[in-house]
Amino acid sequence: MNLHFICNGQAVQIDVEPNARAIDVLRDVLGLTGTKEGCGRGECGACTVLLDGKPVNSCMVLAGKLEGRTVLTIEGVAGADGSLHPIQEAFLDVGAVQCGFCTPGMVLSTKALLDENDSPTIDEIEDALSGNLCRCTGYGKIVDGVLEASERLAQGTQEHGAKP
Amino acid sequence: MNVIGKKVRKVDGQELITGRAKFAGDYRFPGMVYGSVKRAGVPAGRITKIDADAARQLPGVVDVLTAADIPGPNLIGVLPPFDQPLLASDEIRYDGESVVLVIAESAEIARRAAEKVSVTINPYDPILTVDDALAPDARKIHETGNVTFTKKLIKGDAAAAFEGADVIVEGVYETSNQDHAYLEPETVCAVPGRRITLYASCQSPFHIRGHVAANLNLPASSVKVVQASTGGSFGGKDDVATEIGALACIAALRLNRPVMIAHERAESMIGSNLRHAARIRCKTGATKDGKIVARDVNVLLDGGAYASESPFVTMKTLIHAAGPYTIENLFVESTTVYTNKTYCGAFRGFGVPQVTFASESQIDELADKLGMDRLEIRRLNGLKAGDANATGQVYQQSVGLQETITKIAESVETSAPTTEDDRYLYGTGYACVAQGISNGAEGVDVTGASVQMSQDGSVLVGIGLTELGQGSRTVWAQLASAILGVSLDRVSVRLVDTDGVHDSGPTVASRSTTVGGMAVLKAAEEVKKSLVTMAGLMMKTDAENIELRDGFAILKMDDNARIPIPDVATAAYWTGFPLMNLAFSKAPDADYDHDTHQGDVYIAYNYGTHRMDVRVDKLTGQVKVLNHLAAHDVGKVINPLGLEGQIEGASLIGFGFAHMEKIRYRDGIIQNANFADYALPSIKDRIPTATIPVEDHNPTGPFGAKGAGEPPVAAAGAVFANAVSDAVGVRFERLPITREDIVEAIERGNHD
Repeated sequence: MNLHFICNGQAVQIDVEPNARAIDVLRDVLGLTGTKEGCGRGECGACTVLLDGKPVNSCMVLAGKLEGRTVLTIEGVAGADGSLHPIQEAFLDVGAVQCGFCTPGMVLSTKALLDENDSPTIDEIEDALSGNLCRCTGYGKIVDGVLEASERLAQGTQEHGAKP
Repeated sequence: MNVIGKKVRKVDGQELITGRAKFAGDYRFPGMVYGSVKRAGVPAGRITKIDADAARQLPGVVDVLTAADIPGPNLIGVLPPFDQPLLASDEIRYDGESVVLVIAESAEIARRAAEKVSVTINPYDPILTVDDALAPDARKIHETGNVTFTKKLIKGDAAAAFEGADVIVEGVYETSNQDHAYLEPETVCAVPGRRITLYASCQSPFHIRGHVAANLNLPASSVKVVQASTGGSFGGKDDVATEIGALACIAALRLNRPVMIAHERAESMIGSNLRHAARIRCKTGATKDGKIVARDVNVLLDGGAYASESPFVTMKTLIHAAGPYTIENLFVESTTVYTNKTYCGAFRGFGVPQVTFASESQIDELADKLGMDRLEIRRLNGLKAGDANATGQVYQQSVGLQETITKIAESVETSAPTTEDDRYLYGTGYACVAQGISNGAEGVDVTGASVQMSQDGSVLVGIGLTELGQGSRTVWAQLASAILGVSLDRVSVRLVDTDGVHDSGPTVASRSTTVGGMAVLKAAEEVKKSLVTMAGLMMKTDAENIELRDGFAILKMDDNARIPIPDVATAAYWTGFPLMNLAFSKAPDADYDHDTHQGDVYIAYNYGTHRMDVRVDKLTGQVKVLNHLAAHDVGKVINPLGLEGQIEGASLIGFGFAHMEKIRYRDGIIQNANFADYALPSIKDRIPTATIPVEDHNPTGPFGAKGAGEPPVAAAGAVFANAVSDAVGVRFERLPITREDIVEAIERGNHD
């Protein structure tokens, strides 16, 4: 089947098998291997991408569902010039990354949260990231990373005078 | 700027945070095909027939391999004689046993084809408990019998010393199998050529190279193993990476096509090693003033179908059964047995979490029986510099246990509400731990590391130990940066490639910072010699008057006399002073009696004391951890951010071990091989771990440092058990202590 969607700001037109999963289209057709597969059952969140701004487990989404929609993967989070997004900077500064396999999904779930809610409470952070498992960090530094990112984004917004 | 002891970002963080880091599953090669195995599906039996015709006929299937297709001995393992086949040829010893490998044009086709392979197995009654395995008339799982490994530690005369004890506590403590549950399932990718290259998510690439080559029946030099970015390991990506790595290489050479094998989550849980379940009988005697005089411990480990790391885990439990205490009379017997279950091996902590749970439970029981303060009894018996530990080894330095106890004692504040409240029970627990750093007497302990400087002053570190998320690459880069006076962003650490770095032994035993770091330090010191000698010539002074700092060679007595390091490096190169060095760090030969397990074992121990305050919901059994303090003597903190990450992460693994995680078997088949049914801690289960570093300089580590990756697992597990036992008023003797267990214990208490 023919599929059109916007991926990381670029229009994509591809031919895919009707039963293909979104994660396979991203990784195998588009070469966006930053999206990780940890369980294949929607239980770990490593494959999280944003679909029209909302986090989804791309292993549980059929490729056909991407038609006409907008997808953001980890490759589209940093600026085109390679500058890191404030969430990425914050995660690195507080030590929220260890092995890095859950990291792309964590960053995207965090982005979805902070795009909606610029000063989340701890409970709201827990709710937003409860579908993203991590075995390395114990999660404390991931929560720190989200809080730090929200502060930096707030400062950035002040500096630039308007909400993005 | 000297970066030792400074909070620094992970040197490999940029690739990871942007998704550019290449994990094994991210490799793509033209013509690549995919492998999937057919597993036994029954825990014990004998193969009578394999019929793969239906699989072969599936469009897209390119090859089907059985044991007969393996050129080499079809054996892997850790300690010879190896006992684990890549593909079973006759005996089936556990449910997840690989029998047939199917290769197809896609992973999906390979999986479907593997399901179509018919393996007829004449089943045996599976042996599923250690008692059944040790029964006199038990069927032998291996020709050698059902005892994998058994050892004794004998210090003093425990039996006699119990006579002089005023109080004795006795108990039997049990722990369950735990899965590593790293987020990245095991994955390898083999690329054929004149030499074969294996890209692997793995922990010990040289170990894998040896086994791959042996099973290909080729010399080691014909195989190159490249460690891909590895999505967690915790001890788990040794055996299984060897198994699928060898299979992928064998298939790749047969087909002359790249072969990827990527486990699904269920395979990762069923078909790769777990933490040993344990049953520990422990008896401890003390005088009425609280001094422990004797301990007798019997450790039985359920090792599952194959030996894997069991010999070394067995040994680790012997050495650590006394905990961090001076006990003059000690008898420990530790035995691992084969059962028809998933094999057990290395998992962060390596036997120490199991025995620490037993030991720390008994310390609390002793304190209660004697009416002593639970922290005070630990201080009274805790090791100090100059004391002989369980193996009789005496450290004159870097025994920081007492300081960790002091830090915890100072932290004490009342976190439980003073008013009684009907819904909740509150409790506080303490636990101490000691964990050996380095392979020590368990095996050879050599690390080779290279440091080289380019003429532009940038530095490349090469070492055969692996980055698995723990931050070792950052530590090694910090060491090179500190010695060579260049900023951290000028230092890179090579990916591990068996062609490009020296064999450094396995990445285990919390040895990367200590043993690995010493090799990096030595190599950097040699490169520094060239630089300061050159700078001395340039400034017409002796080399000892030069220091390397802030990117310059600087005259010590005149800060303004300085030459940029790239200029010095360039001049050194043209003068013929070497800018690259390969150095070795070798732990001293252990002076050790393997019959009594007395002597010098490890180059250092990490010591720790934890405190945990909990609130237990009487109705639901839910435990809220209000406070968790983890004080560890790490010698010297190299990267505080990395240290906190290690202690926080290890603590949650310990918490999972003690409260949530359990592999559930029914008739030898794992029932919960997925994240919906296996209770892996989520962000909502996290505990508020606060790291308290104690720095008792370790002479055997770089800048005095020692490892920290494993010890918090044991302490966090034990402290949880003690805190919950304190809250509920019942001593729990089995891990995990689940909500159901807690509710049941409370109800039982109410009825008594």
